[in-house]
Amino acid sequence: MSWLDAARARIRLLSRHDSDARFDDEIRFHIDMEAQQIARTTGVDVREARRRATIHFGGVEGHRETLRDGRGLRWLGGLRLDLTLGVRMLRKSPGLTVVGVLGMAVAVAIGCITYGVIYTFFGRDIPIDGGDRVVMIGNYDPATSDEARETHLHDLGEWKRSVPAFAEIAAFHTVDRNFISLNARPEPVRVAEMTASGFRIARVQPILGRFLVDEDERPGATPVVVIREDVWRERFAGDSSVIGRTIALGVAMHTIVGVMPRTFGFPINNRVWTPFRLDPMAFPPGKAPAIRVFARLAAGASRSDAETQAALLQSRRDATSPQELRGLRPRVFPYALAFADAPNLAWVMHLIQFAISLLLVVIGVNVAVLVYARTAGRAGEIAIRTALGASRSRIVAQLFAEAFVLSGIAAAVGLAVGSLGLRYMQVYSEIMVGEEFPYWWHFGVSTGMVLYVLVLAAVGAAVVGVLPAIQATGRGVRARLQQLGAGGGGMKLGRAWTTMIVAQVAIAVTLLPIVAYGIVDFVQQRRAARLTYATSQWMTAALHVDEEQRGSEDGLEPDDDTANRARHAALANELVVRLRRDPAVSDALLMSAIPGDESAMRIVTDTVTRTPQSSTQSSAQRARQPGQATDAAFDVRMAAVDPTFFRAFGVPLLTGRTLDRTDAIAVATDSSLSLPIPIVVNQPFAATVFAGGNVIGRRVRVAPPSRTRASQPAARRSDPWYEIVGVVADFAGADRPSAKHLVMYRPFGMSGPRRSIVAVQTKGIQPASFAGTLRQTSVAVDPMLRIMEARPLDDTLNPERVLDRVIFAGGALFVLSVLLLSAAGIHALMAFTIERRRREIGIRSALGAGARQVITAVMSHAARQVGIGLAIGMVLATAALQGILGWTWSTVSILVMLGVALFMGAVGIVAAWRPARAALRIDPTEALRSE
Amino acid sequence: MLLRQPTDALRGSLDLLVLKTLSLDAMHGWGISQRIQQISAGVLEVNQGSLYPALQRMEKTGLITSEWGVTDNNRRARYYRLTASGRRALGVELKSWRQFAVGLEAVLSAT
Repeated sequence: MSWLDAARARIRLLSRHDSDARFDDEIRFHIDMEAQQIARTTGVDVREARRRATIHFGGVEGHRETLRDGRGLRWLGGLRLDLTLGVRMLRKSPGLTVVGVLGMAVAVAIGCITYGVIYTFFGRDIPIDGGDRVVMIGNYDPATSDEARETHLHDLGEWKRSVPAFAEIAAFHTVDRNFISLNARPEPVRVAEMTASGFRIARVQPILGRFLVDEDERPGATPVVVIREDVWRERFAGDSSVIGRTIALGVAMHTIVGVMPRTFGFPINNRVWTPFRLDPMAFPPGKAPAIRVFARLAAGASRSDAETQAALLQSRRDATSPQELRGLRPRVFPYALAFADAPNLAWVMHLIQFAISLLLVVIGVNVAVLVYARTAGRAGEIAIRTALGASRSRIVAQLFAEAFVLSGIAAAVGLAVGSLGLRYMQVYSEIMVGEEFPYWWHFGVSTGMVLYVLVLAAVGAAVVGVLPAIQATGRGVRARLQQLGAGGGGMKLGRAWTTMIVAQVAIAVTLLPIVAYGIVDFVQQRRAARLTYATSQWMTAALHVDEEQRGSEDGLEPDDDTANRARHAALANELVVRLRRDPAVSDALLMSAIPGDESAMRIVTDTVTRTPQSSTQSSAQRARQPGQATDAAFDVRMAAVDPTFFRAFGVPLLTGRTLDRTDAIAVATDSSLSLPIPIVVNQPFAATVFAGGNVIGRRVRVAPPSRTRASQPAARRSDPWYEIVGVVADFAGADRPSAKHLVMYRPFGMSGPRRSIVAVQTKGIQPASFAGTLRQTSVAVDPMLRIMEARPLDDTLNPERVLDRVIFAGGALFVLSVLLLSAAGIHALMAFTIERRRREIGIRSALGAGARQVITAVMSHAARQVGIGLAIGMVLATAALQGILGWTWSTVSILVMLGVALFMGAVGIVAAWRPARAALRIDPTEALRSE
Repeated sequence: MLLRQPTDALRGSLDLLVLKTLSLDAMHGWGISQRIQQISAGVLEVNQGSLYPALQRMEKTGLITSEWGVTDNNRRARYYRLTASGRRALGVELKSWRQFAVGLEAVLSAT
């Protein structure tokens, strides 16, 4: 295998260090042997023999060089030199380096994050054996693209029997239950009720016992459960005799039969599995609990085969189906894609990725222009090198290598920032989505991402290095060589440059006020949220009551909701009573939503004669009421709260009274809904809906649905009136601290909602450490009462703010890089102008021009560009502020815009300062000597 | 490809000599130069330094291969040996060298 030997030899020779060492050894041996022979045959002493042997061998260095050349690594030496030169050039112009690196790093970081998200959602198969052959199957309404999961249970058997493209088919749905075992705190878990075939499809073996089998699904079979390694270790301390033990899920007892490895989270992100026992016969068609169906494709079968076979079944059944179930289309798509929002939109995401990659090209072109300005300063050097015989490609290669160093550093910085951002997103998503966050989603750095970044770096280097290099080494090189003595490169900056600086200034000016607004708002809200309300000692948790035969959140709505509501309210109230008895609790109360997460609704007032456009409203508030001008309806939020809510959180009462116990009782006992429900509203509500006038005693009711507004102008007769009894200050909400929601609070009564929030104020212990006690207390009230999302209130309020902060930080970083790029552009433009006008300035100075005239002459160009950019930016910013944040022209906004203009002007002056001083220092005699 | 130009006598002949020498036995660099000198009775003296670039070149093209070994007097030395393709190349080159020599002789002995 000669090619193999050759390849091996080449690889061995590639290592410069190894092959140099080998050659040295060989020479040493050769000269030793030769010296010994000379000593033997001629009788001279060892030193003399060695001297002669060395001479005989010939110049060692020369031979070594020949060997290196022979290894074909000469270009590598050249590249090394270019890279070293590149690093040196970057060090020589630190301004350009900082601006270039920052600009490109921002683009790379944004690219990285996009890549990470898209790759996570669309680029991965589930991490199980043959994961690419596992598919999800679902019925879709072609008109709305909605999945009709309620029909899957009835189709499951048919798909199993009559779609040969599926080797094995499985189904699951999830239910939330309290996991109750001895010696461990009860904990709510999302249980996957999955068919045994699901485990066979996953092909992951249990580490202990067995996974589910078909017999477990038979009616009357012993209820069994499979748990995951982490549950086993945390709750049973990894005890191997766990198999056969009994635990409770809610009120139902289950026997543990197996333990799955920690890395297994199939089907979504689950830790506890029970047999799938839904019987299609128990439900009318199209009314079954929502389930998901997945399958492993048979050998040789494709997704489209399966889809065709399933579609055939569907079309046959359409003839006998009820009208509303006709025309559904089965779709089969990769399992991993089923959890991305839009499985069929992967290509759109790739388009977005491409567009974001283009961002780097745009910024790259920007940096390229800066590099070009510097390259222009090196025109003489390039001309001399050309004269000395350097080929054009050699010079282009060198400038490329220099740019590669720059873009390489930017890529590394961008990758680091991007991966940090992704890690943040991972933590945030896990907190927010929890067990619905598929276990194979990791927004991490992947090999693909690193490759993508390398490609970005190469593209960046090509744009930044090659474009100016080709320009600089173009036809004019010889001409420039001739002019060399006359000073100045003779290269020109075109119109593109001017446009770019104008555009940069415009973008910076557009974004600056938005960022400024963000900063002001952020600081204000922080102060409001931190100082006014005592949230730090509170923890909140969502209360759920298990309702049998309901498939978790997406299941069937029971016909008789009232009974469930009453049961929920009774259990919740009982929980609060018990909590208040706990010595570690100083207060406990119920509400329907965490502040900021109140349910949205639309209301009308008791009178519609009022004009909503009043002078006391801020422009921001007005902008959030799109419908009000025509029908005086308002988008508000409503929460049902315990009467002690306001006192507990220290929300000051401004007028009227707060709610009390009798309100709650009155509402609960008024079955005919004839009495108005007393409500307390927040200050923004009073100010906006009632224009700040006296609101006590005023009434509102739910607005009719907008679709039927024309035919039904008044509210439905059965809707109760709400009567305002008091006004409180605004409680900074969770989702957007900046958005002043209009909130109305009604009493949390006996017929409360099906989901409520319990808030607990702890005494002497950290709120976070109370979660366990809270769970125990709730299970003691009823095992069906589940505590979810138990967190300190500050943490609940924070994740949303964290997101705001990330977006804000990203925006600020972007603005900073645009600002820097425009400042650098202005600087380079000035420096360039002055370099080209040296002689003119010299003559002017010689003719007696003062410093002011010189400065005016050189600054006018830059000033014009900053001016045009400012004007365009101001117009855009005004439009953006009015559109997004609902600003109008007021003293404040004029001041902000003026501030922005001054700031940008200052940036321009700072950028132009050094070149301008350089212009003043031009010595007329020096400048004219070249004449 | 190496050794395909029979007229490239100077360079070609060194490669040919090395291949021929190695066809007898695996050998280190100094051994090769000694062997050529011995067999040619001192007529052909290889420029010792330029032997190594030639060896590297031939190794790169897969004609020979090398590994570390120990000499009779217990010194570490790099031993070169012929590969199968080196052996084939030797056959081809011998033939073309002989043709070249015959041609050269014919030209030189023309009257």
